[in-house]
Amino acid sequence: MAQITVDRKLCDNHGQCAIAAPKVFSMNDEGILEFEETFDDALLDEVEEAIDVCPVQAIFVKD
Amino acid sequence: MSVETAPNQLNVPYLDISDPSFAMQSEELRNARETNWYAKTNYGIAVLRYEEVSKLLKSPKLIQGSAKWPAHNGVHGGLFFEWWTKNLLVLEGEDHHRIRRLLNPAFSPRLIKDLVPRFQALANELIDDFIDGGSCEFIGDFAEPYATRVLTILLGIPESQWPTIARLASTIGLALGVTFKQDLDKVDAAVAELYAYAEDLIKDRQANPGEDFVSRLVLASRDGDTLNDEELRNALVLLIFGGMDTTRNQLGLAMQSFMRNPKQWELLAQRPELGGKAVEEVMRINPTVTWVTREAVEDFTYQGLEIAEGTTVHLFTQASGTDPLAFPNPELDLLGEHPAHYGFGGGVHHCLGHFVARADMSEALPLLASRLANPHLTGGDEWLPDSGNTGPIRLPIGFTKRR
Ligand code: HEM
Ligand code: HEM
Ligand code: SF4
Repeated sequence: MAQITVDRKLCDNHGQCAIAAPKVFSMNDEGILEFEETFDDALLDEVEEAIDVCPVQAIFVKD
Repeated sequence: MSVETAPNQLNVPYLDISDPSFAMQSEELRNARETNWYAKTNYGIAVLRYEEVSKLLKSPKLIQGSAKWPAHNGVHGGLFFEWWTKNLLVLEGEDHHRIRRLLNPAFSPRLIKDLVPRFQALANELIDDFIDGGSCEFIGDFAEPYATRVLTILLGIPESQWPTIARLASTIGLALGVTFKQDLDKVDAAVAELYAYAEDLIKDRQANPGEDFVSRLVLASRDGDTLNDEELRNALVLLIFGGMDTTRNQLGLAMQSFMRNPKQWELLAQRPELGGKAVEEVMRINPTVTWVTREAVEDFTYQGLEIAEGTTVHLFTQASGTDPLAFPNPELDLLGEHPAHYGFGGGVHHCLGHFVARADMSEALPLLASRLANPHLTGGDEWLPDSGNTGPIRLPIGFTKRR
Protein backbone atom coordinates (compact mmCIF):
# COMPACT_ATOMS: atom_id res chain seq x y z
CA MET A 1 0.00 0.00 0.00
CA ALA A 2 1.22 3.46 -0.91
CA GLN A 3 0.32 6.74 0.78
CA ILE A 4 -0.20 10.33 -0.31
CA THR A 5 -1.06 13.70 1.19
CA VAL A 6 -2.57 16.80 -0.34
CA ASP A 7 -1.48 20.23 0.84
CA ARG A 8 -4.92 21.71 1.44
CA LYS A 9 -3.55 25.24 1.56
CA LEU A 10 -2.28 24.83 -2.00
CA CYS A 11 -5.11 22.68 -3.39
CA ASP A 12 -7.53 24.83 -5.38
CA ASN A 13 -10.06 22.06 -6.12
CA HIS A 14 -9.44 22.01 -9.88
CA GLY A 15 -10.24 18.29 -9.91
CA GLN A 16 -7.55 17.34 -12.42
CA CYS A 17 -6.34 14.61 -10.05
CA ALA A 18 -9.83 13.09 -10.08
CA ILE A 19 -9.65 12.88 -13.89
CA ALA A 20 -6.21 11.23 -13.80
CA ALA A 21 -6.85 8.80 -10.92
CA PRO A 22 -10.59 8.51 -10.28
CA LYS A 23 -10.22 5.52 -7.92
CA VAL A 24 -8.18 7.60 -5.49
CA PHE A 25 -9.45 11.17 -5.95
CA SER A 26 -12.99 12.47 -6.40
CA MET A 27 -14.86 15.76 -6.24
CA ASN A 28 -17.97 15.98 -4.05
CA ASP A 29 -21.23 17.75 -4.91
CA GLU A 30 -19.81 21.01 -3.61
CA GLY A 31 -16.82 20.68 -5.93
CA ILE A 32 -14.43 19.94 -3.04
CA LEU A 33 -11.67 17.32 -3.29
CA GLU A 34 -11.97 14.02 -1.40
CA PHE A 35 -9.25 11.36 -1.60
CA GLU A 36 -7.98 8.07 -0.18
CA GLU A 37 -4.76 8.48 1.78
CA THR A 38 -3.73 4.91 1.20
CA PHE A 39 -4.21 2.96 -1.99
CA ASP A 40 -3.17 -0.21 -3.72
CA ASP A 41 0.28 -0.24 -5.36
CA ALA A 42 -1.40 -1.23 -8.63
CA LEU A 43 -2.74 2.36 -8.81
CA LEU A 44 0.68 3.92 -8.45
CA ASP A 45 1.01 4.85 -12.16
CA GLU A 46 -2.34 6.64 -12.13
CA VAL A 47 -1.51 8.45 -8.93
CA GLU A 48 1.81 9.58 -10.36
CA GLU A 49 -0.11 11.03 -13.29
CA ALA A 50 -2.36 12.84 -10.83
CA ILE A 51 0.69 14.23 -9.02
CA ASP A 52 2.14 15.46 -12.32
CA VAL A 53 -1.04 16.99 -13.62
CA CYS A 54 -2.12 18.93 -10.53
CA PRO A 55 -1.92 22.55 -11.72
CA VAL A 56 -0.69 23.76 -8.34
CA GLN A 57 1.44 20.67 -7.56
CA ALA A 58 -0.30 20.04 -4.23
CA ILE A 59 -0.07 16.23 -4.08
CA PHE A 60 2.83 14.46 -2.39
CA VAL A 61 3.82 10.84 -1.85
CA LYS A 62 4.39 9.85 1.78
CA ASP A 63 7.14 7.32 2.42
CA MET B 1 -22.24 56.36 -15.34
CA SER B 2 -23.57 53.20 -16.90
CA VAL B 3 -24.05 51.24 -13.69
CA GLU B 4 -27.77 50.96 -13.47
CA THR B 5 -30.18 49.10 -11.30
CA ALA B 6 -32.11 46.29 -12.94
CA PRO B 7 -35.79 45.99 -12.18
CA ASN B 8 -36.65 43.91 -9.09
CA GLN B 9 -33.02 43.47 -8.10
CA LEU B 10 -31.40 46.19 -6.09
CA ASN B 11 -27.86 47.17 -6.83
CA VAL B 12 -27.17 44.76 -9.63
CA PRO B 13 -24.89 46.60 -12.05
CA TYR B 14 -25.21 46.21 -15.83
CA LEU B 15 -22.26 45.85 -18.24
CA ASP B 16 -22.45 45.97 -22.05
CA ILE B 17 -19.68 43.47 -22.79
CA SER B 18 -20.11 43.60 -26.57
CA ASP B 19 -19.56 47.37 -26.76
CA PRO B 20 -16.17 47.68 -28.53
CA SER B 21 -15.18 50.36 -26.02
CA PHE B 22 -15.99 48.16 -23.01
CA ALA B 23 -12.87 48.17 -20.81
CA MET B 24 -11.92 45.68 -18.12
CA GLN B 25 -9.54 48.04 -16.35
CA SER B 26 -12.07 50.82 -15.94
CA GLU B 27 -13.87 52.87 -13.33
CA GLU B 28 -17.14 51.32 -14.56
CA LEU B 29 -15.95 47.80 -13.80
CA ARG B 30 -14.38 48.69 -10.46
CA ASN B 31 -17.61 50.36 -9.37
CA ALA B 32 -19.64 47.36 -10.47
CA ARG B 33 -17.35 45.00 -8.53
CA GLU B 34 -17.60 47.18 -5.44
CA THR B 35 -21.38 47.20 -5.67
CA ASN B 36 -21.97 43.49 -6.19
CA TRP B 37 -20.26 40.15 -6.84
CA TYR B 38 -21.88 39.84 -10.24
CA ALA B 39 -23.25 42.08 -12.98
CA LYS B 40 -25.93 41.54 -15.56
CA THR B 41 -24.71 41.77 -19.13
CA ASN B 42 -26.34 41.78 -22.54
CA TYR B 43 -25.77 38.03 -22.47
CA GLY B 44 -25.95 36.20 -19.16
CA ILE B 45 -24.17 37.31 -16.02
CA ALA B 46 -20.57 38.34 -15.35
CA VAL B 47 -18.92 37.25 -12.08
CA LEU B 48 -16.56 39.96 -10.83
CA ARG B 49 -15.08 38.99 -7.45
CA TYR B 50 -12.32 36.53 -6.61
CA GLU B 51 -14.07 34.21 -4.19
CA GLU B 52 -17.13 33.76 -6.40
CA VAL B 53 -15.08 33.29 -9.59
CA SER B 54 -12.98 30.68 -7.81
CA LYS B 55 -16.02 28.80 -6.58
CA LEU B 56 -18.10 28.94 -9.77
CA LEU B 57 -15.19 28.09 -12.05
CA LYS B 58 -15.05 24.67 -10.42
CA SER B 59 -18.76 24.22 -9.78
CA PRO B 60 -20.20 20.91 -11.00
CA LYS B 61 -23.37 22.87 -11.88
CA LEU B 62 -21.63 24.72 -14.71
CA ILE B 63 -20.18 23.35 -17.95
CA GLN B 64 -18.13 24.82 -20.75
CA GLY B 65 -20.21 27.59 -22.33
CA SER B 66 -18.22 27.92 -25.53
CA ALA B 67 -19.73 24.87 -27.24
CA LYS B 68 -22.51 27.02 -28.68
CA TRP B 69 -20.21 29.74 -29.98
CA PRO B 70 -20.44 28.77 -33.70
CA ALA B 71 -24.22 28.36 -33.50
CA HIS B 72 -24.49 31.70 -31.71
CA ASN B 73 -22.81 33.19 -34.78
CA GLY B 74 -25.14 31.44 -37.20
CA VAL B 75 -22.53 28.82 -38.16
CA HIS B 76 -23.91 25.28 -38.19
CA GLY B 77 -21.55 23.31 -40.42
CA GLY B 78 -18.18 23.19 -42.12
CA LEU B 79 -14.73 22.08 -41.05
CA PHE B 80 -14.33 24.54 -38.20
CA PHE B 81 -17.75 23.66 -36.84
CA GLU B 82 -16.98 19.93 -36.99
CA TRP B 83 -13.65 20.41 -35.27
CA TRP B 84 -14.92 22.85 -32.64
CA THR B 85 -17.73 20.58 -31.49
CA LYS B 86 -15.33 17.67 -30.96
CA ASN B 87 -12.38 19.36 -29.29
CA LEU B 88 -11.32 18.95 -25.70
CA LEU B 89 -12.27 22.50 -24.78
CA VAL B 90 -15.97 21.87 -25.38
CA LEU B 91 -16.29 18.17 -24.54
CA GLU B 92 -17.79 17.34 -21.15
CA GLY B 93 -17.90 14.47 -18.69
CA GLU B 94 -16.25 11.17 -19.51
CA ASP B 95 -15.75 12.16 -23.20
CA HIS B 96 -13.63 15.07 -22.00
CA HIS B 97 -11.82 13.17 -19.24
CA ARG B 98 -10.85 10.28 -21.50
CA ILE B 99 -9.06 12.57 -23.99
CA ARG B 100 -7.53 14.62 -21.19
CA ARG B 101 -6.13 11.47 -19.53
CA LEU B 102 -4.49 10.43 -22.78
CA LEU B 103 -3.03 13.90 -23.47
CA ASN B 104 -1.89 14.80 -19.95
CA PRO B 105 1.29 12.68 -19.65
CA ALA B 106 2.97 14.42 -22.63
CA PHE B 107 2.52 17.73 -20.75
CA SER B 108 4.22 16.52 -17.58
CA PRO B 109 6.27 19.32 -16.02
CA ARG B 110 9.23 16.91 -15.84
CA LEU B 111 9.26 16.57 -19.63
CA ILE B 112 8.66 20.27 -20.30
CA LYS B 113 11.70 21.17 -18.13
CA ASP B 114 13.99 19.55 -20.72
CA LEU B 115 12.93 22.18 -23.28
CA VAL B 116 14.03 25.16 -21.17
CA PRO B 117 17.54 25.53 -22.72
CA ARG B 118 15.93 25.73 -26.15
CA PHE B 119 13.48 28.39 -24.94
CA GLN B 120 16.42 30.45 -23.63
CA ALA B 121 18.40 30.08 -26.86
CA LEU B 122 15.37 31.12 -28.89
CA ALA B 123 14.69 34.21 -26.75
CA ASN B 124 18.31 35.32 -27.04
CA GLU B 125 18.37 34.75 -30.79
CA LEU B 126 15.29 36.94 -31.28
CA ILE B 127 16.63 39.69 -29.00
CA ASP B 128 20.03 39.63 -30.81
CA ASP B 129 18.24 40.57 -34.04
CA PHE B 130 16.87 43.90 -32.80
CA ILE B 131 18.87 44.86 -29.70
CA ASP B 132 21.38 47.14 -31.46
CA GLY B 133 18.64 49.30 -32.99
CA GLY B 134 17.34 50.48 -29.60
CA SER B 135 13.75 49.86 -30.68
CA CYS B 136 11.50 47.08 -31.93
CA GLU B 137 7.91 46.18 -32.69
CA PHE B 138 7.57 43.88 -29.72
CA ILE B 139 4.81 41.66 -31.14
CA GLY B 140 6.25 41.10 -34.63
CA ASP B 141 9.88 41.01 -33.51
CA PHE B 142 9.51 38.99 -30.34
CA ALA B 143 6.14 37.83 -28.97
CA GLU B 144 4.77 36.24 -32.14
CA PRO B 145 7.91 34.41 -33.37
CA TYR B 146 8.66 33.31 -29.80
CA ALA B 147 5.16 31.95 -29.13
CA THR B 148 5.01 30.19 -32.48
CA ARG B 149 8.52 28.76 -32.48
CA VAL B 150 8.03 27.41 -28.95
CA LEU B 151 5.14 25.40 -30.39
CA THR B 152 7.20 24.17 -33.34
CA ILE B 153 9.87 23.08 -30.84
CA LEU B 154 7.25 21.28 -28.76
CA LEU B 155 5.64 19.60 -31.78
CA GLY B 156 8.95 18.86 -33.51
CA ILE B 157 8.02 20.80 -36.68
CA PRO B 158 11.00 22.49 -38.45
CA GLU B 159 11.28 25.95 -36.86
CA SER B 160 11.59 27.54 -40.32
CA GLN B 161 7.92 26.77 -40.91
CA TRP B 162 6.73 29.06 -38.14
CA PRO B 163 5.33 31.82 -40.39
CA THR B 164 2.94 29.32 -42.03
CA ILE B 165 1.80 27.99 -38.68
CA ALA B 166 1.34 31.53 -37.35
CA ARG B 167 -0.74 32.52 -40.36
CA LEU B 168 -2.98 29.46 -40.11
CA ALA B 169 -3.56 29.81 -36.38
CA SER B 170 -4.38 33.51 -36.69
CA THR B 171 -6.82 32.79 -39.51
CA ILE B 172 -8.60 30.20 -37.40
CA GLY B 173 -8.58 32.80 -34.61
CA LEU B 174 -10.97 34.89 -36.73
CA ALA B 175 -13.56 32.31 -35.75
CA LEU B 176 -13.59 33.77 -32.23
CA GLY B 177 -14.16 37.33 -33.43
CA VAL B 178 -17.30 39.23 -34.34
CA THR B 179 -16.73 38.78 -38.09
CA PHE B 180 -16.76 34.97 -37.81
CA LYS B 181 -19.64 34.46 -40.26
CA GLN B 182 -18.03 36.59 -43.01
CA ASP B 183 -14.66 34.90 -42.50
CA LEU B 184 -16.03 31.37 -42.50
CA ASP B 185 -14.56 30.29 -45.85
CA LYS B 186 -11.11 31.54 -44.89
CA VAL B 187 -11.36 29.85 -41.51
CA ASP B 188 -12.41 26.50 -43.00
CA ALA B 189 -9.58 26.65 -45.56
CA ALA B 190 -7.08 27.24 -42.74
CA VAL B 191 -8.49 24.32 -40.76
CA ALA B 192 -8.06 22.10 -43.84
CA GLU B 193 -4.43 23.21 -44.24
CA LEU B 194 -3.66 22.68 -40.57
CA TYR B 195 -5.32 19.25 -40.70
CA ALA B 196 -2.96 18.26 -43.53
CA TYR B 197 0.01 19.40 -41.45
CA ALA B 198 -1.16 17.50 -38.41
CA GLU B 199 -1.89 14.34 -40.41
CA ASP B 200 1.62 14.32 -41.93
CA LEU B 201 3.12 14.79 -38.49
CA ILE B 202 1.09 11.94 -37.04
CA LYS B 203 1.94 9.55 -39.90
CA ASP B 204 5.62 10.37 -39.55
CA ARG B 205 5.69 9.68 -35.79
CA GLN B 206 3.62 6.52 -36.15
CA ALA B 207 6.25 5.25 -38.61
CA ASN B 208 9.25 6.54 -36.64
CA PRO B 209 8.30 6.96 -32.99
CA GLY B 210 10.88 8.72 -30.81
CA GLU B 211 11.08 10.39 -27.41
CA ASP B 212 9.50 13.62 -28.63
CA PHE B 213 6.18 15.17 -27.67
CA VAL B 214 4.09 14.07 -30.67
CA SER B 215 5.47 10.51 -30.42
CA ARG B 216 4.29 10.47 -26.81
CA LEU B 217 0.78 11.43 -27.94
CA VAL B 218 0.82 8.83 -30.72
CA LEU B 219 1.97 6.15 -28.26
CA ALA B 220 -0.24 7.32 -25.37
CA SER B 221 -2.41 4.59 -23.96
CA ARG B 222 -4.43 4.18 -20.84
CA ASP B 223 -6.22 1.01 -19.69
CA GLY B 224 -5.87 -0.36 -23.22
CA ASP B 225 -7.38 2.78 -24.76
CA THR B 226 -5.53 5.02 -27.27
CA LEU B 227 -6.22 8.16 -29.32
CA ASN B 228 -7.38 7.39 -32.85
CA ASP B 229 -6.05 9.34 -35.84
CA GLU B 230 -8.93 11.82 -35.84
CA GLU B 231 -8.58 12.48 -32.12
CA LEU B 232 -4.83 12.98 -32.52
CA ARG B 233 -5.38 15.41 -35.38
CA ASN B 234 -8.05 17.37 -33.51
CA ALA B 235 -5.79 17.58 -30.47
CA LEU B 236 -2.79 18.87 -32.45
CA VAL B 237 -4.93 21.56 -34.05
CA LEU B 238 -6.24 22.57 -30.64
CA LEU B 239 -2.72 22.83 -29.24
CA ILE B 240 -1.63 25.09 -32.10
CA PHE B 241 -4.82 27.13 -31.93
CA GLY B 242 -4.95 27.33 -28.13
CA GLY B 243 -1.26 27.81 -27.49
CA MET B 244 -0.08 30.43 -29.94
CA ASP B 245 -2.15 33.59 -29.86
CA THR B 246 -2.62 33.20 -26.11
CA THR B 247 1.12 33.16 -25.45
CA ARG B 248 1.78 35.97 -27.95
CA ASN B 249 -0.91 38.17 -26.40
CA GLN B 250 0.16 37.38 -22.85
CA LEU B 251 3.78 38.35 -23.60
CA GLY B 252 2.57 41.63 -25.13
CA LEU B 253 0.45 42.34 -22.05
CA ALA B 254 3.42 41.48 -19.83
CA MET B 255 5.50 44.13 -21.60
CA GLN B 256 2.68 46.64 -21.15
CA SER B 257 2.44 45.90 -17.43
CA PHE B 258 6.18 46.22 -16.86
CA MET B 259 6.39 49.46 -18.88
CA ARG B 260 3.87 50.81 -16.38
CA ASN B 261 5.96 49.47 -13.48
CA PRO B 262 9.62 50.28 -14.33
CA LYS B 263 10.88 49.50 -10.80
CA GLN B 264 9.53 45.96 -11.07
CA TRP B 265 11.29 45.58 -14.45
CA GLU B 266 14.59 46.59 -12.81
CA LEU B 267 13.99 44.10 -10.03
CA LEU B 268 13.38 41.34 -12.58
CA ALA B 269 16.57 42.31 -14.45
CA GLN B 270 18.56 41.93 -11.25
CA ARG B 271 16.82 38.81 -10.00
CA PRO B 272 16.03 36.50 -12.96
CA GLU B 273 14.86 33.81 -10.55
CA LEU B 274 11.70 35.95 -10.18
CA GLY B 275 10.72 35.02 -13.77
CA GLY B 276 8.09 32.56 -12.58
CA LYS B 277 6.64 35.13 -10.22
CA ALA B 278 6.60 37.71 -13.01
CA VAL B 279 4.40 35.41 -15.11
CA GLU B 280 1.94 34.86 -12.24
CA GLU B 281 1.73 38.55 -11.42
CA VAL B 282 1.20 39.65 -15.01
CA MET B 283 -1.48 37.03 -15.57
CA ARG B 284 -3.21 38.10 -12.38
CA ILE B 285 -3.44 41.82 -13.18
CA ASN B 286 -3.36 41.74 -17.01
CA PRO B 287 -4.61 38.38 -18.35
CA THR B 288 -5.15 37.86 -22.08
CA VAL B 289 -8.19 35.63 -21.51
CA THR B 290 -10.41 38.26 -19.93
CA TRP B 291 -13.24 35.88 -19.24
CA VAL B 292 -14.08 32.18 -19.49
CA THR B 293 -17.63 31.22 -20.39
CA ARG B 294 -19.77 28.67 -18.58
CA GLU B 295 -23.37 27.55 -18.88
CA ALA B 296 -25.66 26.25 -16.11
CA VAL B 297 -26.62 22.57 -16.61
CA GLU B 298 -29.42 22.76 -14.06
CA ASP B 299 -31.29 25.37 -12.02
CA PHE B 300 -29.37 26.24 -8.87
CA THR B 301 -29.05 28.97 -6.29
CA TYR B 302 -25.73 30.55 -5.49
CA GLN B 303 -25.39 33.30 -2.85
CA GLY B 304 -29.10 33.95 -3.07
CA LEU B 305 -29.04 34.31 -6.85
CA GLU B 306 -31.21 31.89 -8.77
CA ILE B 307 -29.31 30.74 -11.84
CA ALA B 308 -31.60 29.01 -14.33
CA GLU B 309 -30.52 26.11 -16.52
CA GLY B 310 -28.96 27.43 -19.72
CA THR B 311 -27.82 30.76 -18.22
CA THR B 312 -24.47 31.94 -19.62
CA VAL B 313 -22.00 32.82 -16.87
CA HIS B 314 -18.89 34.84 -17.77
CA LEU B 315 -16.13 34.50 -15.15
CA PHE B 316 -13.99 37.64 -15.26
CA THR B 317 -10.30 36.94 -14.70
CA GLN B 318 -8.77 40.42 -14.44
CA ALA B 319 -11.54 41.72 -12.18
CA SER B 320 -11.15 38.70 -9.87
CA GLY B 321 -7.35 38.94 -9.82
CA THR B 322 -7.44 42.56 -8.65
CA ASP B 323 -10.44 42.25 -6.31
CA PRO B 324 -9.53 44.26 -3.19
CA LEU B 325 -11.40 41.75 -1.00
CA ALA B 326 -8.82 39.07 -1.92
CA PHE B 327 -5.88 41.35 -2.78
CA PRO B 328 -5.58 44.27 -0.37
CA ASN B 329 -2.54 45.43 -2.42
CA PRO B 330 -3.53 44.51 -5.96
CA GLU B 331 -0.58 46.24 -7.72
CA LEU B 332 2.06 44.25 -9.61
CA ASP B 333 4.53 43.05 -6.97
CA LEU B 334 7.11 40.36 -7.70
CA LEU B 335 7.83 39.98 -4.00
CA GLY B 336 4.19 39.83 -2.86
CA GLU B 337 2.41 36.68 -1.72
CA HIS B 338 -0.88 36.42 -3.58
CA PRO B 339 -3.57 33.76 -4.00
CA ALA B 340 -3.62 31.90 -7.36
CA HIS B 341 -5.03 33.75 -10.41
CA TYR B 342 -7.44 32.26 -12.97
CA GLY B 343 -5.72 33.42 -16.15
CA PHE B 344 -5.43 29.75 -17.14
CA GLY B 345 -9.07 29.10 -16.26
CA GLY B 346 -9.76 26.40 -13.67
CA GLY B 347 -11.57 23.20 -12.90
CA VAL B 348 -11.75 20.32 -15.38
CA HIS B 349 -10.98 22.63 -18.34
CA HIS B 350 -7.94 24.16 -16.63
CA CYS B 351 -5.45 24.99 -19.38
CA LEU B 352 -3.67 21.84 -20.55
CA GLY B 353 -0.65 23.77 -21.82
CA HIS B 354 0.02 25.87 -18.71
CA PHE B 355 3.29 24.16 -17.78
CA VAL B 356 4.58 24.95 -21.30
CA ALA B 357 3.31 28.55 -21.22
CA ARG B 358 4.68 29.11 -17.71
CA ALA B 359 8.05 27.59 -18.61
CA ASP B 360 8.51 29.59 -21.82
CA MET B 361 7.29 32.96 -20.47
CA SER B 362 9.27 32.65 -17.24
CA GLU B 363 12.45 32.33 -19.34
CA ALA B 364 11.56 35.09 -21.82
CA LEU B 365 10.66 37.84 -19.34
CA PRO B 366 13.85 37.89 -17.22
CA LEU B 367 16.02 37.58 -20.36
CA LEU B 368 14.24 40.59 -21.86
CA ALA B 369 14.61 42.52 -18.59
CA SER B 370 18.31 41.72 -18.34
CA ARG B 371 18.99 42.98 -21.88
CA LEU B 372 16.51 45.88 -22.41
CA ALA B 373 16.58 48.79 -19.95
CA ASN B 374 13.72 51.31 -19.67
CA PRO B 375 11.34 49.91 -22.28
CA HIS B 376 8.73 52.52 -23.25
CA LEU B 377 5.98 53.03 -25.82
CA THR B 378 7.02 54.94 -28.91
CA GLY B 379 3.55 55.29 -30.45
CA GLY B 380 1.53 53.45 -33.07
CA ASP B 381 0.40 50.62 -30.78
CA GLU B 382 -2.81 48.80 -31.80
CA TRP B 383 -4.99 46.66 -29.56
CA LEU B 384 -7.59 43.90 -29.67
CA PRO B 385 -10.86 44.74 -27.89
CA ASP B 386 -11.08 43.79 -24.20
CA SER B 387 -13.81 41.17 -24.68
CA GLY B 388 -12.84 37.52 -24.84
CA ASN B 389 -9.10 37.37 -25.60
CA THR B 390 -7.18 40.63 -25.58
CA GLY B 391 -3.68 42.01 -26.12
CA PRO B 392 -1.63 44.24 -28.41
CA ILE B 393 -1.59 43.62 -32.18
CA ARG B 394 1.32 46.06 -32.62
CA LEU B 395 3.52 47.31 -29.81
CA PRO B 396 6.37 49.57 -30.98
CA ILE B 397 8.79 50.17 -28.09
CA GLY B 398 12.10 51.92 -27.48
CA PHE B 399 14.73 50.87 -24.90
CA THR B 400 18.37 51.19 -23.91
CA LYS B 401 20.57 48.21 -24.69
CA ARG B 402 22.04 46.69 -21.55
CA ARG B 403 23.95 43.83 -23.18
C1 HEM C 1 -14.10 30.59 -26.66
C2 HEM C 1 -15.27 31.11 -26.54
C3 HEM C 1 -15.65 32.53 -26.74
C4 HEM C 1 -14.90 33.60 -27.12
C5 HEM C 1 -13.43 33.65 -27.42
C6 HEM C 1 -15.78 34.73 -27.17
C7 HEM C 1 -15.38 36.00 -27.56
C8 HEM C 1 -16.22 37.04 -27.64
C9 HEM C 1 -15.84 38.34 -28.09
C10 HEM C 1 -14.46 38.71 -28.58
C11 HEM C 1 -16.92 39.14 -28.02
C12 HEM C 1 -16.96 40.59 -28.28
C13 HEM C 1 -17.60 40.95 -29.54
C14 HEM C 1 -17.51 42.42 -29.71
O1 HEM C 1 -16.44 43.00 -29.49
O2 HEM C 1 -18.55 43.01 -30.09
C15 HEM C 1 -18.01 38.34 -27.55
C16 HEM C 1 -19.28 38.81 -27.37
C17 HEM C 1 -20.34 37.99 -27.08
N1 HEM C 1 -20.29 36.67 -26.71
FE1 HEM C 1 -18.66 35.52 -26.67
N2 HEM C 1 -17.03 34.33 -26.80
C18 HEM C 1 -17.00 33.00 -26.54
C19 HEM C 1 -18.04 32.20 -26.19
C20 HEM C 1 -19.35 32.64 -26.11
C21 HEM C 1 -20.48 31.79 -25.89
C22 HEM C 1 -20.40 30.30 -25.72
C23 HEM C 1 -21.58 32.57 -25.90
C24 HEM C 1 -23.04 32.22 -25.73
C25 HEM C 1 -23.55 31.04 -25.72
C26 HEM C 1 -21.14 33.92 -26.12
C27 HEM C 1 -21.97 34.98 -26.21
C28 HEM C 1 -21.58 36.24 -26.56
C29 HEM C 1 -22.47 37.33 -26.79
C30 HEM C 1 -23.97 37.27 -26.75
C31 HEM C 1 -21.70 38.43 -27.12
C32 HEM C 1 -22.21 39.80 -27.48
C33 HEM C 1 -22.10 39.94 -28.96
C34 HEM C 1 -23.33 40.42 -29.62
O3 HEM C 1 -24.00 41.28 -29.05
O4 HEM C 1 -23.62 39.92 -30.71
N3 HEM C 1 -19.79 33.92 -26.23
N4 HEM C 1 -17.55 37.07 -27.31
C1 HEM D 1 -0.25 32.31 -21.86
C2 HEM D 1 -0.69 31.32 -22.57
C3 HEM D 1 -2.01 30.64 -22.34
C4 HEM D 1 -3.16 31.10 -21.75
C5 HEM D 1 -3.40 32.47 -21.13
C6 HEM D 1 -4.12 30.03 -21.78
C7 HEM D 1 -5.39 30.11 -21.24
C8 HEM D 1 -6.30 29.07 -21.22
C9 HEM D 1 -7.59 29.12 -20.58
C10 HEM D 1 -8.15 30.32 -19.83
C11 HEM D 1 -8.20 27.92 -20.75
C12 HEM D 1 -9.57 27.49 -20.21
C13 HEM D 1 -10.68 27.89 -21.12
C14 HEM D 1 -12.02 27.60 -20.51
O1 HEM D 1 -12.13 27.04 -19.43
O2 HEM D 1 -13.04 27.96 -21.14
C15 HEM D 1 -7.31 27.10 -21.54
C16 HEM D 1 -7.57 25.82 -21.96
C17 HEM D 1 -6.73 25.09 -22.78
N1 HEM D 1 -5.45 25.46 -23.18
FE1 HEM D 1 -4.47 27.15 -22.70
N2 HEM D 1 -3.57 28.96 -22.41
C18 HEM D 1 -2.28 29.27 -22.76
C19 HEM D 1 -1.36 28.46 -23.40
C20 HEM D 1 -1.64 27.20 -23.87
C21 HEM D 1 -0.69 26.35 -24.56
C22 HEM D 1 0.77 26.71 -24.81
C23 HEM D 1 -1.36 25.22 -24.91
C24 HEM D 1 -0.88 23.99 -25.65
C25 HEM D 1 0.35 23.72 -25.95
C26 HEM D 1 -2.72 25.35 -24.43
C27 HEM D 1 -3.71 24.41 -24.59
C28 HEM D 1 -4.96 24.45 -23.98
C29 HEM D 1 -5.95 23.39 -24.11
C30 HEM D 1 -5.81 22.11 -24.91
C31 HEM D 1 -7.07 23.80 -23.35
C32 HEM D 1 -8.39 23.03 -23.16
C33 HEM D 1 -8.33 22.22 -21.90
C34 HEM D 1 -9.63 21.50 -21.57
O3 HEM D 1 -10.71 21.96 -21.98
O4 HEM D 1 -9.56 20.47 -20.88
N3 HEM D 1 -2.85 26.56 -23.80
N4 HEM D 1 -6.14 27.83 -21.79
S1 SF4 E 1 -5.59 18.58 -9.05
FE1 SF4 E 1 -4.48 19.56 -7.38
S2 SF4 E 1 -5.61 21.42 -6.99
FE2 SF4 E 1 -6.92 20.11 -8.18
S3 SF4 E 1 -8.17 19.04 -6.69
FE3 SF4 E 1 -6.44 17.76 -7.18
S4 SF4 E 1 -4.95 18.31 -5.62
FE4 SF4 E 1 -6.44 19.90 -5.59
